[in-house]
Amino acid sequence: MTNTSHEVAKGPHHASGAAPSALSAHSIVKRFPGVLANDSVDFDVLPGEVHTLLGENGAGKSTLAAMLCGLYQPDSGYISRNGERITLSSPRAGLHHGIAMVHQHFRLVERFTVAENVILGSRDLSYKLNRSELEDKVAAVAESYGLPIEPGATVGDLSVGQRQRVEIVKALYQGAEILLLDEPTAVLVPAEVEKLFENVHAMTQAGKSIVFISHKLGEVVEISDRVTVLRNGRVTGHVSGRGAADTKELARLMVGRDIELTTQRASHATGHEVLQIRDLSLSLNGVSVLSDISFNVHAGEMVGIAGVAGNGQRELADTIAGLMSPSSGSVAISGSMTTDRGPIHARELGLAYVPEDRLGMGLVPSMSILDNLLLTRDRHIVVDRTSVRPEATRLIEQFEIKANGPDHVARKLSGGNAQKVLLARELSGGRSATKLLVVCSPTRGLDVGAIETVRALLDDARSAGQAILLISEDLDEVMSLSDRILVLYRGSIVHETPGATAQLSTVGAAMAGLTTEGNS
Amino acid sequence: MRSPIRIVFEQRSETPKYLSTLVPLLSVVAALVVGALFLLATGYSPVETYSNMLSDGFTSSRGITDTLGLSTVLICTGISAAFAFQMNLYNIGGEGQLYLGMIGGAWAGLALGDRLPSYLMVPAVLIVGALAGALWVLLPAFVRSRMGTSEIVTTLLLTYIAASLVKHFVYSPGSFFVTKNSAFPQGRLVPDSASLTGINGTSLYPTFFMVILIALALFWIVKRTEYGYRIQVISDSPRAAHYAGINANRTTLSVMLISGALSGLGGAVLIVGPFGRLDPGIILLGYGYAGIVIAALARNNFSAIIVSGILFAGLRSGGDKLQISTDTPIHIGVMLQGAILLFALGGEAFRRYHVHAVRTERAAQ
Repeated sequence: MTNTSHEVAKGPHHASGAAPSALSAHSIVKRFPGVLANDSVDFDVLPGEVHTLLGENGAGKSTLAAMLCGLYQPDSGYISRNGERITLSSPRAGLHHGIAMVHQHFRLVERFTVAENVILGSRDLSYKLNRSELEDKVAAVAESYGLPIEPGATVGDLSVGQRQRVEIVKALYQGAEILLLDEPTAVLVPAEVEKLFENVHAMTQAGKSIVFISHKLGEVVEISDRVTVLRNGRVTGHVSGRGAADTKELARLMVGRDIELTTQRASHATGHEVLQIRDLSLSLNGVSVLSDISFNVHAGEMVGIAGVAGNGQRELADTIAGLMSPSSGSVAISGSMTTDRGPIHARELGLAYVPEDRLGMGLVPSMSILDNLLLTRDRHIVVDRTSVRPEATRLIEQFEIKANGPDHVARKLSGGNAQKVLLARELSGGRSATKLLVVCSPTRGLDVGAIETVRALLDDARSAGQAILLISEDLDEVMSLSDRILVLYRGSIVHETPGATAQLSTVGAAMAGLTTEGNS
Repeated sequence: MRSPIRIVFEQRSETPKYLSTLVPLLSVVAALVVGALFLLATGYSPVETYSNMLSDGFTSSRGITDTLGLSTVLICTGISAAFAFQMNLYNIGGEGQLYLGMIGGAWAGLALGDRLPSYLMVPAVLIVGALAGALWVLLPAFVRSRMGTSEIVTTLLLTYIAASLVKHFVYSPGSFFVTKNSAFPQGRLVPDSASLTGINGTSLYPTFFMVILIALALFWIVKRTEYGYRIQVISDSPRAAHYAGINANRTTLSVMLISGALSGLGGAVLIVGPFGRLDPGIILLGYGYAGIVIAALARNNFSAIIVSGILFAGLRSGGDKLQISTDTPIHIGVMLQGAILLFALGGEAFRRYHVHAVRTERAAQ
């Protein structure tokens, strides 16, 4: 047993005499209760190469990455580094082998400076920290890869793009030769994505290997030297050569069928004003979150709010839904004021609201699908579940929710299916027929197949004459669906443009706060 | 070189059904084992002690009625604790609310005197007792729902004040609650109209059946009604409750008050039942604290509390009698109670995690 595995341990590259991969995974199998997350996956990355792991959510790419950096251990199969078989029992062991992961959710201490965050976890520090020396060292590492960074700045004051840079510098400082970037563009505006890609090139030029994890086809084609596509825990395809990949082909490998993510716009004239927002301002703890926002959404119209996370989107949605009271200004649905009257009143006027945080806000994790459907509806004193059950079953079928039935607990649904439950509830009307639909990041974290479904559902709702306010950090989504686009920056609407003629560069610049006046 | 063994806790995606029964049972068994070690160390025979406890608590007919009688108040404090716990409200002052229930119940019995017939007097005593228990939790409930002040601290501290109140009412001369001109300070017995008699002369009172019905009713309320639905939403996700327009403050307040009322009812049950008077002896019995353990063992399930309440009553009443029949210290019952709580809480880990040992290869240094 040990003999044979030792033979295999040398790996295909070693055996064939080619240069060994910087890092490779051999027939990796990883099971979680009820899920085969990785089913004999082979993967390797060469020095100086960007190798992308592409797949839908739940395809197993994050699981594979977690094993490559030592977070999980494979159930079978093994990992080798430069042709030598290694065991990674922890992320620290991974670092020891020069493997570091930059997580999608940053792991930084906001109150620490950049330099302090970078050195955090190093074991070779002296008892007394020499700050200026450390800051110089951190700056030197950053500069050698063209990553501009201010080592003395407090991380809490940095933008998302800058924080990501801190994470990357940290990995490089720790001596990483192989960087795993987990969905690094999910949180960035277009200009920051460009900057990141420049950094990635600088790193590969210096001989570093990059494992790029993504489900966004366009950027994958742009950045990758090679692409490995995963579906349901298995490798479904390899594409080699920069620019050789074709988005359509990749989408098919990813989903297993052809996918049409077409641009949809209102096909007919829009109707009366359903949502009217006048001079809306909101301050929380003395900090202005929204200022002087005025706009309308008409029946049969979809208005998209673009913006980088944290520019007031959530507060705007919550205020419209009656969950927050504005400091000044008003919100009206179908001509009736909802200001200060609470969420139930807003729903009685025809509001449906899909919040951004599905399991934290939109659904009750411990409850069944059936009970979650009741959340925003009129429940009687004795909750009548039997009469709702057939509807629940019907909605599960209609929305193609993968569940054991109406009693399936929400917590155990995948992200995409949880989102479908939420949409099923909100689109199927509750206290009254839906007139206004507020949806936040409806397709975030969903796989391509589910995105297609969700977009079609939104389009149907629009065709049915509902007014839709789409709030999303996914600029592509806002651009391709909205009839009208508003850009929210630091709580103000800084740009407005019709969806059909919107320019990515202009909207992107507005999102980054680069326009002062921008009605086109 | 042998690789080291590591204990790995892996989160379960689903808890097997059998574990929900097995873990509490094993908690009790483990507590008995620990108790046995203590008995051995102090020179008593665990086998003999336990078999005596068992026969005194569960097998003799006298033992059974005593156990069921005692379980009446323990189920009250158990459902009181569970009702708050299920909403993540940690009312651990059931003990003090129980004292207030006794004070309130005794007051109602004495103040109304013989003016009302028994079929009105007994409910009056029970209702006033429950109200007094609710009153005792009003302040913690209010500051918790408005300001988020920890109810753990406030309810616990109020228990000490409640204990002092009981002593004050019994030991201060000329108190309304005591027999006038008595050499020995003692609570006055409530009139016969406010007292129930034990069934067939045993210490099992009709209130037992009332309490069982209340526990079952709560079970139904939590599972089937809008109120129970709201409790479930708030306890699991306050943000989802906010999103759905559910008023968490009001529900918090009402859940706390109901919890207090249930403990108060437990105190009043003692007035119409075995005690018949305000008795400072209650302070040493810890029935309110026992409710916390009973709720934890039953994992806040109201129908399971009936079972765990009876089990506890058996341990307690068996333990109490041990001291009379043998010289085993009475505290063995209380010690077992504490050990059961520890094991029941620790056992949660086995319900939530799959625990297993693995051999790990050390990372290359």
